[in-house]
Amino acid sequence: MATSDKLIQVKNLKKYYNKGTLHALDDVTVDVNKGDVMVVIGPSGSGKSTLLRSLNLLEIPTDGEILFHNIDITKKKFVNKHGKVEKVDINLHRQKMGMVFQHFNLFPHKTILDNMILAPMKVLGVSKTEATEKAMALLKRVGLEDRAGAFPIQLSGGQKQRIAIVRALMMEPEVMLFDEPTSALDPEMVGEVLEVMKELALGGMTMVVVTHEMGFAREVGNRVLFMADGKLVEEGTPEEIFDHPKHPRLQDFLAKVL
Amino acid sequence: MLSIEGFQSAFKYIQLFKEGLVCTVSLSAFTVILGFVLALVLALMRMADLRPFRFLDNTQGGEGRTGFIGFLSRFRPLNLIASVYIEVFRATPLMVQLFIIYYVLLAGLDLPTFKLFGLIRFERFIPGVIALSLNSAAYLSEIIRSGIQSIDGGQTEAARSLGMTQTQNMRYIVLPQAIKNILPAIANEFVTIIKESAICWTIGVQEIMSAVNSVKAATFTIGEALIIAACIYFCLTFPTSKIIEYFERKMSRGDKR
Repeated sequence: MATSDKLIQVKNLKKYYNKGTLHALDDVTVDVNKGDVMVVIGPSGSGKSTLLRSLNLLEIPTDGEILFHNIDITKKKFVNKHGKVEKVDINLHRQKMGMVFQHFNLFPHKTILDNMILAPMKVLGVSKTEATEKAMALLKRVGLEDRAGAFPIQLSGGQKQRIAIVRALMMEPEVMLFDEPTSALDPEMVGEVLEVMKELALGGMTMVVVTHEMGFAREVGNRVLFMADGKLVEEGTPEEIFDHPKHPRLQDFLAKVL
Repeated sequence: MLSIEGFQSAFKYIQLFKEGLVCTVSLSAFTVILGFVLALVLALMRMADLRPFRFLDNTQGGEGRTGFIGFLSRFRPLNLIASVYIEVFRATPLMVQLFIIYYVLLAGLDLPTFKLFGLIRFERFIPGVIALSLNSAAYLSEIIRSGIQSIDGGQTEAARSLGMTQTQNMRYIVLPQAIKNILPAIANEFVTIIKESAICWTIGVQEIMSAVNSVKAATFTIGEALIIAACIYFCLTFPTSKIIEYFERKMSRGDKR
């Protein structure tokens, strides 16, 4: 694939804890192409969440590079195309990377509508009318337009996560990062969230999804990464990973979860 | 002993109490505002992760070195300044602080000697406000810090992942939730400020307690004047805590199912 299709390039990423004794990420190199639905699987503690959270620098890597639009966002400065040194503005990059968390992290003191329009208004400078219009359209898309005035505590887990997804979409991100979006949900609510994610994927959104939902990985993903002990162990299409796993660690993992 | 006649003679000096009331309210109001702003700064200083010598340690994200170099690389000056301030002001009596400020620190300064609102002597009022503010800021900052730290880190992560700056995150997400959580403690502290402002009488600020003293000097009785003073203080503190309770209810809209 051409370089221009590479949205995010991760090079030799390392994240150490406890004065270097714990290697959460151990030399991970991977590219995210435009339009990819990349699903990251692996046992707990394998570093998949750390990798995802590093992509928008919620975790500061110990070493390595993360290139977003060919700019290394782990560094303080970069050289722009005119050869001038510019500061890396992480807030600017985060705007383009939507993130959905395991525990939703909606703002409990704000209504659903206010949750959605706050960042577009304060960060992008969108007018309240425009932001509200957009929010209502998105709420309609996920079937929650009647809950605009509710507070997060009044919603079910599945509803909260759908709101979290559309809140991130309000910023019109180029890539959506999902950090175990269904792990904190009651089983009967998992489907409604996966449905929204599937729709997003079909709409062409670039997505990186850390999940334990193997069905979703197989059905929606176009690439699957398997991680263990902070290392990227195997990468391939869903068929390759699920039907013809090569590495014994992956075979062992799949035997346990499938 | 208290007597009806005693109250009648004390009430002849009601004008003194009125002026004292204006003075106490002004002292408290200025102190609450100044103290709160200072407390917010102190709380943020205590949580700041500014480490000027971090560059000395380039191992494993800046946590690898031990010994003196390691100590220096983790040295947080803002945190140290705020911590020392808070410990000193919580560990010494307010009266000592007030006297040091009035008789030592501000003694050499020629403070302007006009009368605030036509009745409060500014050159005594200001040292009082400063001492009360510095003192209450030490307590308030710990309350604010605990409030900020009680907010789940996921809130900040969500705000930052939406592209908000650290300042926007504090202003729109963390502080509104933190302040809601600490409002009962803040109400306590504001009530304490009103009551402790009585100490300013000792440097000649003519607030409510000074009115009591004037009545004592003029009528040779003190009990009735003290009862009146207590009532006035209660009429100030009780509504204060009720008003804050109202705000607490209003800010808790997101807690109800």
